[in-house]
Amino acid sequence: MKYVIETKDLTKKFGTQLGVNRVNMKVEESQIYGLLGRNGAGKTTTMRMLLNLSHPTCGEILLFGEDYLKNCKQTYRRIGSLLEIPGFYENLTGAENLRLLARLRGTQKKDAVEKALHMVGLGKEYTKMVSNYSLGMKQRLAIAAAVMHEPELLILDEPINGLDPVGIHEIRSYLEKLCREKGTTILISSHILSEIEQIADTIGVMHEGKLLEEVTMAELHKRNRQYVEFQVSNENKACRLLEEEFQFDDYSVHENGNIRLYSNLDLRASINLCFNQNGIEVTKVNLSEEKLEDYFSKLIGDGSIG
Amino acid sequence: MVDILYCEFFKLKRSKMLLISILGQMVAPIMVFVGLIKARIRDPQTIITYGEMLEQTNLYVLMLFGVVVYGAIVAYLFSREYTENTLKSVLSLPVSKISFVIGKFLMFFIWIMILTVVAWSSTLFLSIIGSATNFSLHVIIESLKQYFIGAVLLFLTMSPFVFITLWFKNLIPPVIAGATVAMINVALSNEDLAVLFPWSSPYLIASGKIVKYQYPESLALLLIVITFLLGFVASLIYFKKEDVK
Repeated sequence: MKYVIETKDLTKKFGTQLGVNRVNMKVEESQIYGLLGRNGAGKTTTMRMLLNLSHPTCGEILLFGEDYLKNCKQTYRRIGSLLEIPGFYENLTGAENLRLLARLRGTQKKDAVEKALHMVGLGKEYTKMVSNYSLGMKQRLAIAAAVMHEPELLILDEPINGLDPVGIHEIRSYLEKLCREKGTTILISSHILSEIEQIADTIGVMHEGKLLEEVTMAELHKRNRQYVEFQVSNENKACRLLEEEFQFDDYSVHENGNIRLYSNLDLRASINLCFNQNGIEVTKVNLSEEKLEDYFSKLIGDGSIG
Repeated sequence: MVDILYCEFFKLKRSKMLLISILGQMVAPIMVFVGLIKARIRDPQTIITYGEMLEQTNLYVLMLFGVVVYGAIVAYLFSREYTENTLKSVLSLPVSKISFVIGKFLMFFIWIMILTVVAWSSTLFLSIIGSATNFSLHVIIESLKQYFIGAVLLFLTMSPFVFITLWFKNLIPPVIAGATVAMINVALSNEDLAVLFPWSSPYLIASGKIVKYQYPESLALLLIVITFLLGFVASLIYFKKEDVK
């Protein structure tokens, strides 16, 4: 397995407080890795260390299989990044800002700036000063800055902050395309779990500086079982029927007359009919799956991400 | 380094700071010109030479306005990436922290040289308008030499201001420091201690007046170099060690 990012016991202390606590992260090549965690979980600090903006207290960082400080200049030319709220020179236009960054980076295709602006939907704002940009436009410009040199690795911290729903969809599609077609490896953090769920191949969950779990979405789908949920008027009678008529024992009973069946889901129509014929009123039948949010809540032992 | 320097110039596009600094630098020539007009009003026969005009401007620039204006430029140049939140974008490109700071120092040096030319040429222009006398090539060459020696020495003394800016990440502290130093310069004028104060001695060395004081020129130069090295090294170490927020 080839890892583009690998950290070994990566730790960052702020005084006596541990911001990042012995994180061992592995990001595979040409994969999208979603980093989840509440505010202050250590996601941004981890990304800062990966980008050599913050010095680790201890631990190792390997980028493209090499120590991140070895051939630093060459390594970071292969990376595009966006960290939190993007900053730009307000007296310059978006295109001028990108040209300036391109010049500092040293390598750039001639039409890269125009292409990047067009890609993020800022092609028509060519002469507009950044001081007149909205937050969403600045975020789009930051994404353009991160991708304009066609990096092999993208590190994006909350890239969809401030974007409207159409913008979120566009950026998500673009990132997926980058990964699938060009093989770009993407490390992305977001508060919006559904967004991560839609594009990530692997997710890592951080909480209080620790990487609690690293799991592929395929594995997660396996773990998060599908079920059919019936809401019935008499759950005792319904359970008896399930056991006697269908020989089911793979079910659970919940509040408000809800019963969840975890196997033989395709028999839900027959079960419904059986309940009706036996005088059990069925007010709801749902085919459901545990969502990333449920998984996340279980893992960090809290109901919310924010 | 050429790219960093090019980008520093590029960042000034449409920025009002260059114009503001030029206007700030022109305060001294205008003050000297106002002095000439006043003298003429008092006594129309008063003779004022090009040499006196250029000398007076250099005195005001190096001892008074220069420290304040250059302090403001340092504050603007070195705090810009903090106030505009662009430091993380630049340093993750990658641009090394050391070359970033050195690039800024070079930009600051060029900026001071431009302002020195502004002060010198505007004084010359105002001297022509004010019908100053005794124009000669010697005066021109000598004054240019004094202006540029003074500017280089004053540039060297500004490195602690860079450290203050990097430390506070704000425009205000270096500007306050500049004003404070200017006040101390005024307090020390004509005192022997002025030779030992790195921000007073550039003018004394450049104008050659240091020979009138009890301390040697070499001591003043040594103190200026030490001031530069302390500020420069402290800035580099601090900036290199500090995490980018």
